[in-house]
Amino acid sequence: MSDKLKQIINQQGEQHNTATLDQSDDIVQLVGFIIGEEEYAVPILAIQEIIKPFTWTRVPQVPPYVLGVFNLRGSVIPLIDLRVKFGLQLKKHNEETRFFVLKQDDEVAGFVIDKLTAAIRIKKENIGPAPDTISGKDTMIDGVGKQEDRIITILKVDKLLERDF
Amino acid sequence: MDEFQEILQDFLVESFELVEKLDEDLVELENTPEDLELLNGIFRVAHTVKGASSFLNFDILTHLTHHMEDVLNKARHGDLIITPDIMDVVLESIDLMKSLLNTIRDTSADAGIDVADCVIKLDKISGGDGDVPTPVATKAPEPVVEEVVEDEEDEPDYDNMDPDELEAEIEKLLSQRQDEDRAKREAKIEAGEAVLSVPEIIDEDVAPEPKAEEPIVSAPVTTPVPVKKAPIIQKEVKKELPKGDAKAAAPTKRAPATVEQTIRVDVKRLDHLMNLIGELVLAKNRLIKINDDVEERYEGEEFLEELNQVVSIVSLVTTDLQIAVMKTRMLPIGKVFNKFPRMIRDLTRELNKKIELEISGEDTELDKSIVEEIGDPLVHIIRNSCDHGVEVPDVRVASGKSETGTITLKAYNEGNQIVIQIDDDGKGLDAEVLKDKAIEKGLITEKEADSMSEKEAFLLIMKPGFSTAASVTNVSGRGVGMDVVKTNIDKVNGIIDVESKKGEGTSMKLKIPLTLAIIQALLVGVQEEYYAIPLASVLETVRISRDEIYTVEGRSVMRLRDDVLSLVHIGDIFEVERILDASEHAYVVVLGLGTSKLGLIVDTLVGQEEIVIKSLGDYLKGIEGIAGATIRGDGGVTLIVDVVALMEMAKGVKAMAMIDSSAGDPVNNEKTKASDYTVMIVDDSKTDRMIMRKALEPMGITLVEASDGQEALNILKQGEHNFDCMLVDIEMPRMDGYTLATEIKKYNKYKNLPLIAVTSRTGKSDRMRGVESGMIEYITKPYSSDYLSSVVQRNVNFKAEFL
Repeated sequence: MSDKLKQIINQQGEQHNTATLDQSDDIVQLVGFIIGEEEYAVPILAIQEIIKPFTWTRVPQVPPYVLGVFNLRGSVIPLIDLRVKFGLQLKKHNEETRFFVLKQDDEVAGFVIDKLTAAIRIKKENIGPAPDTISGKDTMIDGVGKQEDRIITILKVDKLLERDF
Repeated sequence: MDEFQEILQDFLVESFELVEKLDEDLVELENTPEDLELLNGIFRVAHTVKGASSFLNFDILTHLTHHMEDVLNKARHGDLIITPDIMDVVLESIDLMKSLLNTIRDTSADAGIDVADCVIKLDKISGGDGDVPTPVATKAPEPVVEEVVEDEEDEPDYDNMDPDELEAEIEKLLSQRQDEDRAKREAKIEAGEAVLSVPEIIDEDVAPEPKAEEPIVSAPVTTPVPVKKAPIIQKEVKKELPKGDAKAAAPTKRAPATVEQTIRVDVKRLDHLMNLIGELVLAKNRLIKINDDVEERYEGEEFLEELNQVVSIVSLVTTDLQIAVMKTRMLPIGKVFNKFPRMIRDLTRELNKKIELEISGEDTELDKSIVEEIGDPLVHIIRNSCDHGVEVPDVRVASGKSETGTITLKAYNEGNQIVIQIDDDGKGLDAEVLKDKAIEKGLITEKEADSMSEKEAFLLIMKPGFSTAASVTNVSGRGVGMDVVKTNIDKVNGIIDVESKKGEGTSMKLKIPLTLAIIQALLVGVQEEYYAIPLASVLETVRISRDEIYTVEGRSVMRLRDDVLSLVHIGDIFEVERILDASEHAYVVVLGLGTSKLGLIVDTLVGQEEIVIKSLGDYLKGIEGIAGATIRGDGGVTLIVDVVALMEMAKGVKAMAMIDSSAGDPVNNEKTKASDYTVMIVDDSKTDRMIMRKALEPMGITLVEASDGQEALNILKQGEHNFDCMLVDIEMPRMDGYTLATEIKKYNKYKNLPLIAVTSRTGKSDRMRGVESGMIEYITKPYSSDYLSSVVQRNVNFKAEFL
């Protein structure tokens, strides 16, 4: 786990100590990240690790958002660019770019995100359903979390890891 | 109850092995009904299964095997001659036994299969030569079972013994058994040499003899359990003893040969071991690469030699280790071959044909997972040969062949592959008939049929839904079988080769790699990507120049000796973006798959490497043309080419982009304002860059600066700007202007990018070099800013309205 994440988690921990959020099961822990202009989040437990970008190998005959595969300590893992998947332009990787390695059951994949924001603790009651226009079983959106000053789109990990081509 | 489960597992594994062996023996027995050794062996199997199953309370199985034993016992003592009819019943009973064993494996109980009919038949046989039929035969089987189990042996009534007596009885029997074991062991030691020479084969192929001991071995373990179970154990012990004694004379001779130093290992553990070896091979490759790098950097240093030695030892040991582990997973193919004599026998009776099966090379070893995969295909091929290949006796005689057809099944090593060859001397395949059938079934078009070679036509039999049989019989004709063959063989990266001569027979070769996990591969490069091609499919590699490639009907071909080889560029198949311009020469990797050949054009050949196949995972599985991936010495991922799919894909690729490379230059975008023009200034001196900037800024164009050739090249590669022109200094650190120009010109995209040298070198030879490397203008320092500005304007086609 990257130092940065640890740092963020620590910071968050401190904040929450002061804010005395109640520690019951009603709290959802998420990790937030930015793609384009929007902030998204996935459940913290779905994240296997967050790493700095490194080289990957292109794979033919896949949609443009599948950049290829990379070697994660001996495993070959697909790499998906969420910018492209969400209909944005491919951007050059920079200092803030990270690979999110998500895991559910046996499915593992890496996702390119523009920037990591923070670990987020949010009350269940503050999470609303996805807007009607984009809900349905095909949507990637699990819900919308409301924090004081911002709105975070929570993504479905199983949909992210699902092959849709 | 775990202990019971454990015993049950052992019982099942052993019984299945025994039964497998039994089939083969029985068929042989039919040919040589007087072979006492064989009869004894078969009898022992029935007996062992009976013994063990009664111990485990499988009453139905015991009942059945008991009667089998009766018949075989009679035959053994010469009271009964095995005729084909008797054999049919015996084989039927063995089939029942198999299904009972299957039921036991699935449900841990032997209920649900009716053996009554078979038992009656068996009994009639054993009673047939004079004896009055035993009452068992006429009674319903279920109650009889009880009787049989309880009464068949004359033994003390253990049920009524008190525990102490029981203990004593057990003690007595055990010590008896131990004595006997000791005697046996001594006999073994006497035959010590024979024991030593027994090869250490790690598989489950333990000969029947030790099996008889199985219940005894378990007996001490079970003694402490409640007394209720004791009677059963004792019965078992009791039963074994007299038999053991009776057999003692004959089998002691055999005993040493059947002792094998084996150990049962869970396949999962071996798989895990294989995975670890895979990782080790990757690490080894990496080490070798690092060694090469270090060698390059510290040439001549003394420690290098030491490092070299260590690296070669590690690499040697890894290879040996890999082979050793691979060998532990190897099984003799005989395991699969064993079931065929029986199958042929059944088929010949069913089809009224006379067929002999000749088997050779059954000792050839194959990876366990492959052995499992090839069983089914072989069944289908042999059924096919019997049904469609070999003719009925009348026809054979009429065409001057011997009445009995022969099917030969052989296995042998060929390089890194195992070849399984199935030959028959039947009527052979008729290419024309096959084509007509295929057209009729809509599998191919007439045009395709016309261009098909004979060999390609033979391969039509592998197509799903293809069948030449006029009617669907019990044996074949549904058009499924050979498709299964192809699918399964493809699964293990194998190749099928069919040869046939009309009227003389058909020969089918299955070429199968030794192992699945680690393969030899040829690494090839295209642009900046690398691909691994399994070496087994590579016939040769050829270096050709561009003008050796011809175009026929929109397809690229080349002459290879006397053949015309169709070509396809690997970049066209894998959608590789062409940035670098291909050089005058290219390499052609000639791929061979059965009879078809294809030339794959690649930019570079990297070399041969041992690679570990890794799956791409669920997310990316099934990508056409890619069989998997491997991790290379540098930690990068390289994709492995699926040659079968690639050849299929190559048919779809018509024109070759190598010739009509992307001439459409994306650089010439419409300019709407002065700042749309972008010029790069490459100079190591900041002052010089400033002077140029000052001269060009008034035009309002966009300027990008680089301080040396390397940086300029990087900026260019990033592709953030579309440059219209570059001003290049010649003398720069890291990469000078000439090299930069040469590098830039390698990119097709920048072929037409104007490069202007700005230098203080004024010599004629300098100018010549500039031209050679692709510079189109040569400005010597010092220069006036107007001059520079006008040269740039001219070269970027600066529109006058922006001035």
